[in-house]
Amino acid sequence: MDSVDTHRIWQEKELSHMVEGGALFPMLSDPGGRIGSLYGVYDSERGVDQRGCFLIDPGGVLQSMEIVADPLGRNIGEVLRQLRALQHHHATGEYMPCGWEPGKPTLSKEQSRSGEIWKEWKTRHAF
Amino acid sequence: MTVMVGRKAPEFTADAFDHGAARKVSLSEYRARWVFLFFYPADFSTV
Repeated sequence: MDSVDTHRIWQEKELSHMVEGGALFPMLSDPGGRIGSLYGVYDSERGVDQRGCFLIDPGGVLQSMEIVADPLGRNIGEVLRQLRALQHHHATGEYMPCGWEPGKPTLSKEQSRSGEIWKEWKTRHAF
Repeated sequence: MTVMVGRKAPEFTADAFDHGAARKVSLSEYRARWVFLFFYPADFSTV
């Protein structure tokens, strides 16, 4: 929501104390929630964009979205897990069952609908 | 228009603060790369 100038001040006053050199990515300004409205996160009553995460693949296709309440911070580890899983799928065509992380079993597309996932995937793999 | 997984992500261009300078950023610049796009209510919040 904030202006580019406010982003600059936040960067100088706070973010640069958290990460050397400040944020490593572009910080966009979204006055009036124009982009937030496109992505379904703009709250017109409060005049703010809600906390929303979106993963977009190299072809520009949306692959994951999550919107959380204001008091709830994000889990960047989960974002990275989803990114690795999606990249693995793009590279191999395999499906990643519940709780997948690198090193855990994957499924073929056929297996993922077979009713025999239990042969490969155990409850412990969820955690 | 409803944003939906499996469909094209809406295109946009916006003013941005990027590595110490102001510039325009478009989603289309990032074609061929993975993009993590995130929104938050306000600067000086917990993100």
